[in-house]
Amino acid sequence: MLQRSVASRGAAREAQTIFKPPWRARARHPAHRLVKIHQLVAYLGPSVVLALAFIVFPLVFVIVMSLTAWAGIGPAKYVGIQNYVYLFHDQAFRSAIYNTLVWAAAGIFVQTPMSLLAALILARRPFMWKFFRTALFVPSVVSTTILALMWYFMLDPNVGLVNGTLKAVGLNSWTHAWLSDPSTAQFSIMVPFVIYIGFGMILFLTQISTIPREIFEAARIDGANVFQQDRYITIPAIRRAIALWVLFLVGYVMKMFEYPFVMTDGGPASTTMNLPLYVYKQMVTADAYGLAMAAGVVTVVLGALLVLVALLGLRWLESR
Amino acid sequence: MTGRLIARPAKWAFLGVLTVLTVIPLLWLLVSAFKTTPELFRSPFGLPAHWSFANFIGALRAQPLVAYFRNSVTVAVVSTVATIAVSTTAAYALRHRFKLRGAINGFLMSGLFVPFTAFMTPIFFLIYHLGLYNTVWGIALVYTGTMLPVGFLIIKGYMETIPEELLEAARIDGASFHRVFLRIVFPLTVPGLATASIFLMISAWNELLFANLLSTSPSAETLQVGIRSFLTSYAANYPEAFAGTVMAMAPTILAYAILSNRVVESMAATGLK
Repeated sequence: MLQRSVASRGAAREAQTIFKPPWRARARHPAHRLVKIHQLVAYLGPSVVLALAFIVFPLVFVIVMSLTAWAGIGPAKYVGIQNYVYLFHDQAFRSAIYNTLVWAAAGIFVQTPMSLLAALILARRPFMWKFFRTALFVPSVVSTTILALMWYFMLDPNVGLVNGTLKAVGLNSWTHAWLSDPSTAQFSIMVPFVIYIGFGMILFLTQISTIPREIFEAARIDGANVFQQDRYITIPAIRRAIALWVLFLVGYVMKMFEYPFVMTDGGPASTTMNLPLYVYKQMVTADAYGLAMAAGVVTVVLGALLVLVALLGLRWLESR
Repeated sequence: MTGRLIARPAKWAFLGVLTVLTVIPLLWLLVSAFKTTPELFRSPFGLPAHWSFANFIGALRAQPLVAYFRNSVTVAVVSTVATIAVSTTAAYALRHRFKLRGAINGFLMSGLFVPFTAFMTPIFFLIYHLGLYNTVWGIALVYTGTMLPVGFLIIKGYMETIPEELLEAARIDGASFHRVFLRIVFPLTVPGLATASIFLMISAWNELLFANLLSTSPSAETLQVGIRSFLTSYAANYPEAFAGTVMAMAPTILAYAILSNRVVESMAATGLK
């Protein structure tokens, strides 16, 4: 890195001594740091336009149109907060909000501790640690759609491996139509999300590998056991990575679409509905664009609230 | 001492159970893809009597998997290149001092906290009125817009590791704004771009919602959209659906096997800065 920097500095200097246009002489003046406006437009223009098109325009659009009744074509009729009133009386929407919170809780309180535990174990490089690391990470490179499809087959009442295993070990009474029973559907579609810990685990492992070995060595000499080392050295050292992971998870569950869409389509009786799927269904299936937009506004607000709660919670943890 | 006696077996039990839960479904799907329908219904365990590729050929005949695959590659490559180009130039411009610098930086970063799924309606109309509905370009454009904040975050973090003195030296030697970018900043950011592009490529490859919303025919449908048809139109032929699913997941697993260290690095990089 350092060598390369020096080399390119040399190259740049050489290039300039060979060809040094006279009109560039003024560039020596400190004022050169003030960039010219056309340069800024050229370099920042595309990203600002994209952000306007995909953040500002949609935000304004959903807020304004959430106050209308609109079928996607033809004129939109102003209806005030009627869409919001409808939403909060709609059983499917309540279920969507509840389930979105359930996804977030499963991610933060089940999946994250499991990823952290796996990372803490594998960071000590036990027997076959490379095998475990690879095996646990593999699903992270497969798309969620395909994982959802695979678990749909796994949970199939007739050919699925889950019921097949239960029958094979004599637990016939435990076999179940997992995805079509309202009492097990939401739990079942969260299984792949919770057990695939590879992404978080790798993130934590990378962070743990940056902690200087000498610290652990010193702790060991002072008589700290493995648990104490993890508790007082490793976890505090990767606190920031854990915090970022939780924020990432919150964003991820607010966008969670594949598992409910592929595995249950929100059913049975809306028990697996979540916010993205609700917006999708109001828009694509029901042509109720005003409602879809109001649900979108609620999604944005809930997402912001969850991020805020996560940030406050992490700050509270840090202050202890 | 007692702590250790409990912890040892617990550690291996945890790793073992998790690994079995992770790996067995993948192996089961792979093996089942070679079975015949009666074999599959007889028992979910056991090996097929004949290892024939009939199910794979059948799945390829029934669904335009090759077209889906091509669309997915196009969308992933185009959106990744576009996101990288846009983020790199923006991150470079924001290394300079000017009035709105903080505001623009915050504006570009704000997208990190936006659940874009809430915006599916306006984004749909945007693409529709641009005349890009049901084209791979429309999908790629949406990915560029929605992946920009993450791409910008990774690349900016990387670019900040380039020392300012290096840029300063080039400027003193008379290098222009563009020249400093092309000759110094860009080449030194390339390792970071590799990391970012793997992450962006995987995100684009895996996306389902917008791809599904913005396409109606195999000319634009990506693999993620297409493989769902194994669910809707294949209720009777499980083994072919399994074979299709195996073929759909093979490319990323193979890419991971070849590039494993790089992929892991890029996954981790998203949390580094």
